[in-house]
Amino acid sequence: MPEPLEVLLLDDEPIVGRRLKPALAKIGCAVEVFENPEKALARLQEKEFKIVVTDIRMDDIDGMQVLEFVRERWPESKVIMITGYAMMSLAREAMEKGAFDFIAKPFKPDDLRRVIAKAARALGYTLDFEAAAPEGG
Amino acid sequence: MSLIAISADSYPQGLDIAQRTAAALGYGLLGRELLAQVAADRGLPQEQLVQALEETPGFFGMRTRRQQELLLHIQAACLERLLADNLVCYGLGAHLYLVGVSHALRVRVLAEPQQRAAELAALRGLPPERAAKLLERQDQERRRWSSQFFQADEMDPAQYDMVLSLGNLEPEKAVEIICDAAGYRKFQAMTYSRKCLQDKALAARVLAKLMPRFPDIRLQASDGTVVAQVQSLKRDQRKKQEAVRELASQVPGVSYVEVQVIRDYFGQAAQSGR
Amino acid sequence: MTSIPQNQPPAVGAGGQAERTRLAERAEGIRRALVERPRFSLRLQMYLGFLAAFILSAGVAVALVYNFHDMENKIRFLEIVNDYVMEVEQARRFEKNFLLYGSNLSDALDSVFQAEQILTRNAGELAAVMGPGWSQVMLPKLRGYQALLERLGRLQGAAGAQGGPARQDLQARVRKEGQEMVSAALALLSKEKASLSTTTRRSRQILIYSLALLLVVLVLNAYLLGIRMLGSINRFGEYANRIAAGDYTPITPSRRYRDEFTDLALAINAMIQELENREAVLIQSHKMRAVGTLTSGVAHELNNPLNNITLTAHVLQEDYAGLSDAERQEMIADVVQEAGRAKKIISNLLDFARETGSQLEPLDLPHLLQETIDLAANQIKLLGIKIQLQSSDNLPRVHGDSQQLRQVFLNLILNAIDASAKGGKIQVIVVPADEPNYVAVKVIDFGSGIPAHILPSLFDPFFTTKGRGKGTGLGLSVSQGIVAKHGGRIMVSSQAGQGATFTVVLPVTTIPAELGEGRHPEPANRAKA
Repeated sequence: MPEPLEVLLLDDEPIVGRRLKPALAKIGCAVEVFENPEKALARLQEKEFKIVVTDIRMDDIDGMQVLEFVRERWPESKVIMITGYAMMSLAREAMEKGAFDFIAKPFKPDDLRRVIAKAARALGYTLDFEAAAPEGG
Repeated sequence: MSLIAISADSYPQGLDIAQRTAAALGYGLLGRELLAQVAADRGLPQEQLVQALEETPGFFGMRTRRQQELLLHIQAACLERLLADNLVCYGLGAHLYLVGVSHALRVRVLAEPQQRAAELAALRGLPPERAAKLLERQDQERRRWSSQFFQADEMDPAQYDMVLSLGNLEPEKAVEIICDAAGYRKFQAMTYSRKCLQDKALAARVLAKLMPRFPDIRLQASDGTVVAQVQSLKRDQRKKQEAVRELASQVPGVSYVEVQVIRDYFGQAAQSGR
Repeated sequence: MTSIPQNQPPAVGAGGQAERTRLAERAEGIRRALVERPRFSLRLQMYLGFLAAFILSAGVAVALVYNFHDMENKIRFLEIVNDYVMEVEQARRFEKNFLLYGSNLSDALDSVFQAEQILTRNAGELAAVMGPGWSQVMLPKLRGYQALLERLGRLQGAAGAQGGPARQDLQARVRKEGQEMVSAALALLSKEKASLSTTTRRSRQILIYSLALLLVVLVLNAYLLGIRMLGSINRFGEYANRIAAGDYTPITPSRRYRDEFTDLALAINAMIQELENREAVLIQSHKMRAVGTLTSGVAHELNNPLNNITLTAHVLQEDYAGLSDAERQEMIADVVQEAGRAKKIISNLLDFARETGSQLEPLDLPHLLQETIDLAANQIKLLGIKIQLQSSDNLPRVHGDSQQLRQVFLNLILNAIDASAKGGKIQVIVVPADEPNYVAVKVIDFGSGIPAHILPSLFDPFFTTKGRGKGTGLGLSVSQGIVAKHGGRIMVSSQAGQGATFTVVLPVTTIPAELGEGRHPEPANRAKA
C-alpha cells in the first residue's frame, strides 16, 4: 500500500463530506473534512495538503479566497473547485486564480475520483482508481 | 488544452490565420473538410452544407427549416470532434454554438477592408466601389443569418473573447496574440467545461435527429439526460411524447429522455374553430 | 415522464378566474344600480325650464291683450259719452235762445233727437259699460226733457204771449231737467276717464312685474341647471383624479335619478374595468419577470440538494453490500431529506408565481418582508450579498394584498441587489412612519446611488437605467401603482456614491380583520407543483 494522499475537503453541506470521505479513501486518499471555511483555513495554515477540494459559495468565506490562500501558502497543492453555481465566468475566474480543475454540482463520486487521480498523477503519485469501481466506473 | 474558434469576415484571410495558429500551437485544424465527411456519413449533399453556412434564407433560397437541419448536422459533427482538445476550428460557425464553454477561445478576425473588397471584386469581376457597397450588404446578411439560426449577432464584438483587426495587425502578430491567449489559464479545459461541451454535442445530435419530425422542438441535455419541449394539441400529447422519446433514445449517449408538452393553444383554438 | 406543463395552465388560471367572475358580478351590480334609477335627463330639465319661461311670457301677453281690449272699449265709450254730452249741451244752448228770444226750439229738439240717436245707436257699448239698466237712467231723462221742450213749444204756440204762471213753471222744470241731464253726463264722463287711467296703470304694472318674474324664473332655471351640471362635472373631475391616483373603485350612484352623466359614469366604469384588467395583466407579467430573475438563483441552489442526492445514491449503489443496515438507513434518510429540501427551494417560487386573486387582509409587514427576502435568498446568496431585516416591535398591521405587496418589496429588493456591488449589504427596515397611522418600509442599498437628474423620472413607465434586454422600466411604475391602490406611496432618496433608500409608506389597518372570505386554495395543484 503506497503512502496515502492527503486531501482536504471543504463544503458547507455536511452530506458531501460524509459521502466523499469513504469514497475517496477507497482510492487511497486520507481525507480531512471541513464544513467551516475558517477552520479549514486555520488547518491549511499549519499543514500542507496535496489536494484541496473546496466548495465556492459558502457563508463568510468564499471558495475563491480559499483557492487564493492555498496557492499562496502551498504553491504545490492542487485545488479542485466544486460548486452548484457553475457559470462560465466563475469557471474562468477559478482557472485564472490557479485552480487545478472545476467541477459543477451535481457530480458523481467517480467524477471527483477521476479528477483527483489526475491531480495525483500530476503530483507524481499513482492512485488505484480502479479500486473504487468494481463495475468499471 | 483548449479550443480556438475563429470567425472572420473574409473567408480566405480567416483561413490563413487559422492555419498559422494551428501550426504554431501544434493543434489540429477543424475546417470545411469536415463537411465532406458529414455529407458522406449522413447522406447529405455537400454543396448544400456549404450553402447553409454561407447563405441567408431568402425568397428563392433554401427553406429555413431545411437550412436549420443542415446546420444542426454540422454543429453535431463539429462539437463531436471538438471533444478531442487542442483544435482550431474555422469556417463551421463554431463561435456561435460554443457559447458558455469556458475553454473555447472565441476570436473574431476582421480582415483588412480594402483587401476584402479587392478579393470580392476579383471573385465577382466587379469595380472596387461596387464591391465596397456589396460588402456592406453582405455584413447585413450575416447579421440576419446569425440571428436567425443562432439568436446572436455575429458582428457584435461582445460575442467574442477577442477581436483582432488585420487592418492594424500583421497576420504573424495576430497569430502570436492568439497563441498567447490560448495559453492563458482562463481558457484551459476543466471537468466542468468539458461537460458543457459534451452536453452541447449530445443536444445537437438529438436535435439533428428530432428536428425533421418536430420542427418546433426545444431541448437541453445534461449527462445523458435529455429534456425536450414540444408543442402539442391535447389529444396528440401522449402519442407525440412517445414518438419523441423513442426517437431520442436511439441517439447514442442518451440514457434518459424527458418530454414536456407545451399545450399548443393556438392550434387548439384553430381546431375548435372548425 | 412529466405532467407538470399540461397541468399548469388550469392551476394558474383557476384562482384568477373565480376572482374575475366575482369582479364582473360586482361591476354588473353597480351598473344596474346606476341604470335602475328614474330618468331625469338634463335635456328634460332644460326643456322644462324654457317651457316655464315661455308659459310665463305667454300669460303676460294674454293679460296685456285683454287689458288693451278693455282700454279700447273704454276709449270708445268715452267718445260716445263725449258726443252725447256735446249734443245735450247744444240742445241746452238752443233751449236758452228759445227761452230768451223765442227762437230755435226746433234746433234744440233736433239736438235732443241727435243725442237720442247716439244713445240708441250705441246701445250695445253702453250696456257693456253701464250694465243693462242704463236705458232706465239715461233715456227716460232725455225723453222727459224732450217732452218738456215740446210742451213748452206747444204752450208758446197756443198762448202766443209771454208770461203766464204755467209757462213760468214749465221753464223752470226745463232748466232743471237740462241741468241734471248735463251734470249726469259729465259725471259719467269723468268716472269713465278715471277708469281708463286705472286700466292704463294696470297694464304698466303687468309689464313691470312680469318682467321681474321672468327674470326670477330664468335665474332659477340657470341656477338649477348650473348646480346640476357643475356639480357633476366637479364630481367627475374628482373621479378622474382618483383614477389617475390608481384607485379603481367603480363610480356608484350618488343621486336619486339618472341622466346623461349616468351614461358618462357607465362609460368611465367600463374604462376603469378595462384599466384594471390591463393593470392586472401588467402586474402579473411583471411578476413573471421577477420570477424569471429568481429562477437562475433557484436553479443553482437546487444543485446542492441534487448533489447530495447524487453522491448518496452513487455511494449506496457502489457499496451497498458492504454497508450496515444502519448506514443504509442513514443514507436513505439523507436522500429523503434532501429531496424535501429541493422541493422547498422551488415551492416558494412556484407559490409566488401562481396567479391568485387579489384579496385584502391585515398583514404583518415584518413577516411578509421575511418571506420576500426568503424568496430572493438564492439570488442574494448567488451574489454574496448580505441582507438585514430590522423591525420595530408591535407594529400595527396594514391592510393589503399580500401577493401584490410581496411583489412590490421583491422588486425593490431585486433593484437593490442590482445596485449593490458583489458582497455588498442591503438593509430592510420596518418602522412607524413619521405621520400617524402609517407604516414605513425602507429598502436601503449602499451602491453607487442614483444621480439627482434621473430621480424625478424614476417612477415613469419604461424608464430604465439597466441595459437593453435587462429591465423593462416598468418595475417601479407597476410598484407605484400597487402601492397607490393600497393608499400609500413610494419615495426615494439618494446621494451619489452613498446608495439609495426607497421608502414605501402604507396606511395601517383601521377596519377589524376580515375573516371568512377565503382565498381559493388548490390543494391538488399545490401538491403537484
